[in-house]
Amino acid sequence: MSFTWNRKDLLSLYDLRPEEITYLLDTAEEFKKVSQRKVKKVPALRGKTVVNFFVEPSTRTRVSFELAEQRLSADIINMSASVSSLTKGETLLDTVKNIEALQVDLVVMRHSATGAQNFIAKHLKCGVINAGDGAHSHPTQALLDIFTIREKKGRIEGLKVAIVGDILHSRVARSNIWGLLKLGASVTLVGPATLVPKEFEQVGVRVCHNLQEGLADADVVNLLRIQHERQAAGFFPSINEYARFFGINEHTVKFMKPDAMVMHPGPINRGVELEGSIADGPQSVILEQVTNGLAVRMAVLFLVAGCVQK
Amino acid sequence: MEKKALLFDSDATSAAIARIADAVVHDFKTGELEDFAFVGIYENGVPLAERLAVEVEKRCGYHPVAAKLDISMYRDDVGMRSGLPLIRETVIPFEMNAAKVVLVDDVLSSGRTIRAALDAVTDYGRPALIYLAVLVDRGRTEYPIHADYAGLTAPEVSPKRKIRVEFAEDGSCEVHTVDWGRKHRTA
Amino acid sequence: MNDKFCLVNGRVVDPARNLDEVMPVAVNRGVIVDAAKIDDSYRRIDCTGKIVCPGFIDLHVHLRQPGNVAAETIASGTAAAAAGGFTAVVAMPNTSPAADNAGAIEYLRQMAARTGMVRVIPCGCLTKNYAGEEMAGIGSLAQAGVLALSDDGKCIQDHSLMRHVMQYARSFHLPVLDHCEENSLKGGGVMHEGTWSVLLGMSGIPSIAEELIVARDIMLARDTGCRIHIQHASTAGSVNLIRAARKKNLPVTGEATPHHLTLTDEMVKTYDTNYKMNPPLRSEEDRKALVKAVLDGTITVIATDHAPHTQTAKLVEFDNAPFGIIGLETAVPLTLGVLVHKGRMPISKYVSCFTAGPAQILSLDWDLAPGREANVTVLDLEDEFTIDASKFKSKARNTPFDHWKCKGRAVLTVSQGRIVHSLLD
Repeated sequence: MSFTWNRKDLLSLYDLRPEEITYLLDTAEEFKKVSQRKVKKVPALRGKTVVNFFVEPSTRTRVSFELAEQRLSADIINMSASVSSLTKGETLLDTVKNIEALQVDLVVMRHSATGAQNFIAKHLKCGVINAGDGAHSHPTQALLDIFTIREKKGRIEGLKVAIVGDILHSRVARSNIWGLLKLGASVTLVGPATLVPKEFEQVGVRVCHNLQEGLADADVVNLLRIQHERQAAGFFPSINEYARFFGINEHTVKFMKPDAMVMHPGPINRGVELEGSIADGPQSVILEQVTNGLAVRMAVLFLVAGCVQK
Repeated sequence: MEKKALLFDSDATSAAIARIADAVVHDFKTGELEDFAFVGIYENGVPLAERLAVEVEKRCGYHPVAAKLDISMYRDDVGMRSGLPLIRETVIPFEMNAAKVVLVDDVLSSGRTIRAALDAVTDYGRPALIYLAVLVDRGRTEYPIHADYAGLTAPEVSPKRKIRVEFAEDGSCEVHTVDWGRKHRTA
Repeated sequence: MNDKFCLVNGRVVDPARNLDEVMPVAVNRGVIVDAAKIDDSYRRIDCTGKIVCPGFIDLHVHLRQPGNVAAETIASGTAAAAAGGFTAVVAMPNTSPAADNAGAIEYLRQMAARTGMVRVIPCGCLTKNYAGEEMAGIGSLAQAGVLALSDDGKCIQDHSLMRHVMQYARSFHLPVLDHCEENSLKGGGVMHEGTWSVLLGMSGIPSIAEELIVARDIMLARDTGCRIHIQHASTAGSVNLIRAARKKNLPVTGEATPHHLTLTDEMVKTYDTNYKMNPPLRSEEDRKALVKAVLDGTITVIATDHAPHTQTAKLVEFDNAPFGIIGLETAVPLTLGVLVHKGRMPISKYVSCFTAGPAQILSLDWDLAPGREANVTVLDLEDEFTIDASKFKSKARNTPFDHWKCKGRAVLTVSQGRIVHSLLD
């Protein structure tokens, strides 16, 4: 009980100590139960104002945050880049300073530029929660992934997790890597060399360019969405070829251990990185990830709000 | 350093717990105990509720439910404290609608914790009634909340001193007074 | 004022004349005079324990005027130069409008004469509006007095055009200063492509984006005979290419910036846009290779790439910030630290990187011989101080070196016979 959470911002799992990650996960377990009750709401953030500022568009993450905030009884404002003054030439810092001047307690922000949240958090007294920045960090996604793994497998330490796909452009991968390494899992990154940079080996991650090798001993297989525009940029020749060599389908699923669980942050390209039947099959925990995302975001909002001093 | 002083020894607290159990058994006839539950509020309400359940069983042969309630999500001082304690597991293993609930906490001080607990309990359903049992009543609540069962009263303790109940492994407990920690802001 | 003075008791280090001894240096009416023949009317300035050298030249400065006077002006930029110990700056032509014609050079000359604190050496564009499409009027630029040509900030991608430009520039005896960058490899990169770009998820600028063009330029120098100067070399690979070219006596020189000699890409993890420049901060191996290249004479010029930006421009997301930092007022302390105090570089070789090195490229006679225009920089190698950006003469504050503790700096600057900066009593 000597441990207390004292961060007003959640920017990246890279910043967190292992015990802080565990603490977040433990807190999320209790919030998961709130959503299973008849009254799915607690007054924890009553009177607090949260701004969901999505400079980069998002559907599922924004909905998940919004619902989490509602279940915590917060007051909510949603802003996108198109309704903010960014389109009128205002700088990001001016925009968020104006938001803060409205006595807002928390800003949940998504931005296409790496480090945008780190940049504004330095200039704000209110709390900042990163809902995804560039290819850098998406801490709540990684927390919900890790929460789901822990719930299913009972532990993180000692597990082997394979992350398959476009690691180079993935904030989900980067956040998962730090979270999993800090909690003692081993991580293998799988994909073609254009999308899986060898530099990751320097932080103790295995890099593998062959799907069969990469999946062989994995307890968890986390598949990333492949973006069509990467083909145009010359990272791989075609979606079909990608699916053949790095997608999970009826043939390649046999490379996995029978008890390996399949994860995907969504939205899924069915038939590309993941065959529909496997996404809907017994190994898949994809919908549970969504459910857990709500609990994890409630926990993050609750803990961060508790440290924003007024 | 906080200067710790004994307020009630384990004999006094055991007698107090016995008095609460007697009163509960008196108020709730054996037949009514079917939909009766103690709901202990973390931290010390939880072991206290368990002891009360044992005491009740000694008197009427029926062991009532001793549920556990964490009220962190219902506090009204988020952001006013320097940090948050870990949320512990709430266990309500019975149907709350029409239940007869006795909330259990170790010390009744301002009444704010009980206010939060009332919100929490009612989010689980609509109980027939809610009573409050405390081991020590300081007799100076700041809300219109009063104990239905108070094992001990301590109105003479200065507001500058905190009342702390310490449970031993065997379930026995002692009550001490200590100075408030430096970080304290609201009771 | 300060018309006649004599710097006495200083250790005179004049690399162009192979001179290193304690002796006086006298100045009268803007010219160095024979100190043996001076009378009592000269004010004596005691330079005991100091290094007296030819005036420092910064071969790579953006003065931003005309075009972006909110960031810097000729007046403020040259004041910063004086404060940093520089007596002459080469003004990069990527102003707005660009210095790609004789009229623009004349404007620069007049503004510099009126508002400049130190000498401003004009540099003209290689191509019109440095767009890399049509050759600029290089002959007219030469006639207007430019001493070098550069499309700095951009790089000619068309090899045939670059070849013609170099052939043509050679006819007018002008060196080509090239910002070496292959656009398709640079892509949308904002920092060095390496461990940190991968960990941070930032778009990287690979080393080969620079090295490919360095190799091309060296081949074209061999092919055309035109002198090529590699601006702000940043990678170990570039340094190796330059070293090999110089061994073959090709007309190739290279420069390093103080920030590439002192910082690495790891600093980007702070998301401070004052670590965003182009070429980007590279890896520690690159940094070490660069220091080694300066120490072994592969790189003969240290230039700042002084790139002022307003606070508004820099106080944004890293991806959206402009490239570049200011350097005039931090160059000497930083390089003294990394090269002389840490690298044990002989002081005459160090001084050469700011004097004989750039002067050779600009075809200037640059020493302290009597009769020369009086440009003198006096260094105190032991002066310990903390950089305070709030006191900068530059209008801009985009430096990552604020609050750095340094040892050694310029304590006196004499430009064209005038004392323009002095920390001496």
